[in-house]
Amino acid sequence: MFRTWLSQHLLLPPKDLVYSRRRLVRSVFLIALVMIPLVLALIFMDGMMQGITDKYILLQDGHLQLYTPEDFAIDDAAIFSADRVVNGYGIIYSKEQSSEVKLKGVKTGYFNPKREAELNLETTDVLQRSSVTPIMVSETLAKMLNVEKGDRVAFILIPEEEGRGARPLLAQITDTYNTNYYELDSALVYLDYADAQKYLPSGGKSYLEVLLTAKATNQLSTVAQRVAQGYSWASWDQFNQTVYHNFVSSRQVIFLVFLLILLVAGVYVASLSNELIQDSYQSIALYKALGAQQKDLSCVFYSVVMLITLTGLVLGLLLGILLGYLLSPFLLWLSKSGLEGLRYYLLDFNVVIAWRDLLFIGASMVIIASITVGFTLARIKKISPLEVLQQD
Amino acid sequence: MHEPLLRFENVVKKYPSGTQELLILENLNLTLESRRSIAIVGKSGSGKSTLLNLAGGLAKPTAGRVLFQGKDLGKMHDRELSYYRNRHVGFVFQSHILLEDFSALENICIPALIKGGRLKEVKKRALELLERVGLADRVDHRPQKLSGGERQRVALCRALINQCDLIIADEPTGSLDEGSKGEIEDLLLQLVVEAEKSLLLVTHEKSLALRCDTVYQLENRGLTLV
Repeated sequence: MFRTWLSQHLLLPPKDLVYSRRRLVRSVFLIALVMIPLVLALIFMDGMMQGITDKYILLQDGHLQLYTPEDFAIDDAAIFSADRVVNGYGIIYSKEQSSEVKLKGVKTGYFNPKREAELNLETTDVLQRSSVTPIMVSETLAKMLNVEKGDRVAFILIPEEEGRGARPLLAQITDTYNTNYYELDSALVYLDYADAQKYLPSGGKSYLEVLLTAKATNQLSTVAQRVAQGYSWASWDQFNQTVYHNFVSSRQVIFLVFLLILLVAGVYVASLSNELIQDSYQSIALYKALGAQQKDLSCVFYSVVMLITLTGLVLGLLLGILLGYLLSPFLLWLSKSGLEGLRYYLLDFNVVIAWRDLLFIGASMVIIASITVGFTLARIKKISPLEVLQQD
Repeated sequence: MHEPLLRFENVVKKYPSGTQELLILENLNLTLESRRSIAIVGKSGSGKSTLLNLAGGLAKPTAGRVLFQGKDLGKMHDRELSYYRNRHVGFVFQSHILLEDFSALENICIPALIKGGRLKEVKKRALELLERVGLADRVDHRPQKLSGGERQRVALCRALINQCDLIIADEPTGSLDEGSKGEIEDLLLQLVVEAEKSLLLVTHEKSLALRCDTVYQLENRGLTLV
């Protein structure tokens, strides 16, 4: 009963104990303030990574690339779509600028609703209306080249094999797209499949670009071996190893930083515990003089500090998730307001909440706080009941 | 064999003072029977409070034994001493030592809650005690809103709520004005007699000391009967 009664008093001080009330609120908010950036960073990282991954998969590489002959037919429940595409590289020239690009020849039907959504297309009828080779470039690339829809541009198409000469090509920008990811937008140019085969040196590299259903995305290798029927294949993570490993290592570094921040938060929780014990010094001495057991007092102060920590933790997680939904629009606004450095990041991402990671962060915070508070509780043991007589 | 409530046997108490030790009590003997009262008088610094601390289990003797109902307090662990202070001793300190963040009623409840009492029952008993000492209208008052005499009456209630066998009072009227002194003296002795408790009292007030069953003078580190 004493434990409950004292805990209640410490957690819910009477209205006139303004200092105690303010300290409680301050502590909860400070712990929440530590958690909010951690949650935001996680949402930003995961959202961006997921968004970039989706864009690379949908627009550049697919989940799988099957190096099969033109007439190869494929039918499998794990496959969402399979499109024959042809790839090549070149340099695009406008009157004022030039840039290295990846050319991708696609057939009618390649731009399914998923891809259309990623490309933010103004029309579904793309690459169809021109007397010269129609191409689709991103708004980013058009801006870099200082051209717009309807303008003509030239290419020098670069052969992948040695001994073959580069080939020029005149093209007209008939459509533009915008994925909101600079790295992809600045280098990917779409053209018609037949044109690509016709103009790319040696016909470009042709393959089947496969998108898998959501369920099958975790079984890339199994599905690939099943559907490739002996032909060679590559999965998106193999194809984009640098991007993939950058994501993985960035996440590990971020997690390490999180743990360091949590350690600092643990020190704050310990100082809160110390402050509570210091302020209750005479009270603790009196409780001891009146017969309170050491373990009861330790239990009360431990529970109170941990409850404050947990409240701050939950509040921080909730506020972090709430603010996470505003993060993408806010960053896009910042980027459009002239913060150039942001253009290299994917800012138009969906919120991805990694519950397992949030749980890990929460559990780490509780464990770290628990250990640091445990150290401070030793002070209670050192308070002698005789200290009460110093008041006397 | 009859065991007195409290017995000091050749008690020695020394405190470290720099590199040396300060001898406070030397071969002190004292016996307090149940329902009896003893007053200790003496000059400041003579060791009166030390004697009370030993009796209350707040300090341990350097040598000799302090026995409560035959049990040696010096051999008890911290847990047992806490139990002893809670179940067997009611403390009344010179300057009341009430917790400022709690009301009069809550201050009285503390020892009973530590004992494990249920809040409702504990509050009922505390209210009865407050009524008994004439503070029924001060239940929710914080100590800073009470006069010195009222605070000491609250402290008396706190010492009595667990119905302990032994009341230890260290200068209970020491910080009170003349008007309140007599009132608290009367109340303390009345309550101790009513509740059939034993009283070990340290005081400078001759009037109060002489109302106890036995009076000792603490001088030269030992007790002499007055």
